[in-house]
Amino acid sequence: MPEGSQRLISFWVGTVLTGLAILAPFGVNEYYQSFLLQVFLVVALAQAWNLISGMTGYVSFGHAAFFGVGAYAGALLLTWGFPWWAAILHGAGIAALLAVPLGFLTLRLRGPYFAIAMLGLNEVGRIVATLWVDVTRGGTGFTLSPALLPSLDMKYFSMFGLALAATLLVAWVHRSRFGLELRAIREDEEAAEMVGVNTTRNKVTAFVLSALIPGAVGAVYAMYTSYINPSSAFDHARNIEMIVVVLFGGSGTVWGPIIGAATVMVLREMLWAQFPAAHLAALGVLLLIVVLYLPGGLVSIVRERQQRRPDARPGESP
Amino acid sequence: MELLEADILLQLLVGGLLAGALYALLACGLNLIFGVMRVINLAHAELMLMGAFGAYVLFNIFGLHPLLSLLIIVPVIFVMGYYFQRVLIERVVERPMLTSLLATYAVSIILINIGLLIFSADFKSVPVLQGSFLVGDLVVSKPRFTAGLISLVLTVAVYQFLERTRLGKAIRAVSEHAQVAQICGIDVRQIRMLTFGMAAAMAAAAGVMLSVIYSFWPGSGIDFIQKCFAIIIIGGMGNFVGAFYGGILLGVVEAFVGGFFSTQWAEAVAYLLLVTVLLIRPTGLKGVARA
Repeated sequence: MPEGSQRLISFWVGTVLTGLAILAPFGVNEYYQSFLLQVFLVVALAQAWNLISGMTGYVSFGHAAFFGVGAYAGALLLTWGFPWWAAILHGAGIAALLAVPLGFLTLRLRGPYFAIAMLGLNEVGRIVATLWVDVTRGGTGFTLSPALLPSLDMKYFSMFGLALAATLLVAWVHRSRFGLELRAIREDEEAAEMVGVNTTRNKVTAFVLSALIPGAVGAVYAMYTSYINPSSAFDHARNIEMIVVVLFGGSGTVWGPIIGAATVMVLREMLWAQFPAAHLAALGVLLLIVVLYLPGGLVSIVRERQQRRPDARPGESP
Repeated sequence: MELLEADILLQLLVGGLLAGALYALLACGLNLIFGVMRVINLAHAELMLMGAFGAYVLFNIFGLHPLLSLLIIVPVIFVMGYYFQRVLIERVVERPMLTSLLATYAVSIILINIGLLIFSADFKSVPVLQGSFLVGDLVVSKPRFTAGLISLVLTVAVYQFLERTRLGKAIRAVSEHAQVAQICGIDVRQIRMLTFGMAAAMAAAAGVMLSVIYSFWPGSGIDFIQKCFAIIIIGGMGNFVGAFYGGILLGVVEAFVGGFFSTQWAEAVAYLLLVTVLLIRPTGLKGVARA
């Protein structure tokens, strides 16, 4: 059974990677630990985007807004003296609470209309964060005093935990009936509705789940950088990154966002520091190439090779 | 007091109409593309900014007046748009709409960041037209008047072209039903390239007009594309005339909200209008049937 052996491979690769990630802080210096933390950040965000856009085909151009909300919620709670884990939980909770009405409103819109409606969401978040000075301190932003912050190890493991949780969530959704229904929506929403799929409930559930993760990640990000302002919390580049990473790796798959995140982050590390604009332009070129020539992402290359050898049984080879 | 308020209303109305004419020029191009090929061009605002930066460069290097640089920029961007369609959009036009959405999104990211590399993130402007003139008690700003008037003339000219010429009729035919048009002997591919060229040229012209009114930087596009979406959804996707009225409407509403509340709220008007319309009619207001 190719399906079963693929799962087995996935399981072992996942276990080994998880083990390495847990051991990493004991073996690498702070620079690499920070880099890994950022990779996990991107993995978690990409999986979140994957959950709604990869699975249902409803492309969200505004998911970074949930990240921004989580970052502000986390920063506020920390300055009010709450422990770091409470800040993370509230970041997730508040983002999810916002996503409920938002999901009911925007997910009634089909395909491109949903994309258009979401395109402005991050911008609205930035405007609100700038204008609502009483709570957000406006453009000045938050500086979190080091005394309030957990250690780098704590932040590292939090971010890793979120990346892992997001991946497991996607893996579970992928296999479940719920995931099957989401993909049915992607293929043909009307047909899905006709065979009795509750499309609204499924879409909104996926949307809320996919808002939960960036909310939590935003809170950890606020601790990690110890300073946030409207333009760093509601950074449009983060939307671009999520989309590029997922499409590059392979949308609607469990491994796609991980492979995409690792590749894009290494590329970014090579370009980023000197040329932020060049880095984004490069992401744009990457996105274009993927959309034109590799619609299934990197994951699809592996898949196709397997399909070309129908007699090959991946489970049998070591 | 009564009189004063009437004055203010008229002032806001004229300001709104002039701004609206510029929006209309921009949105009509976007809607033309959507009508003919069912592609939402997320890079439309960046084409506009190409026009604006073109005017900026020509003014700073050759001292060319933006109204003259219009004569250079419009044909150049037309040709660029034509080949852009041929090289890129033709590859995605037959694929699901999300593919073209992502492809044009990628192009928009690339253009913004190339713009940042060349021009940095500083705000630029082309300060040639300044001051204002009086019509009765009405104060009309010269740059806004010029930009609004030229935008109006160009939009009407394109409309007349679509209505009256053979080529314009062919474009409308492809917009109505591409397959039937093909059967009737229209070279649909050619029409699509022409359409993209025209829409790009309209966007670039809007950009030149923008450069005499506002300051801009490579990332300015997001505000305008947002407005364009609101306009074409209000006016009907693919509907040229609808986009014209939608543009005028948005300009006027923004002017009134800006006049009575604050300009920051005026920025949010387009988004609120967009969301409201989409919520009332989840597939957008009347417009071409979806392919």
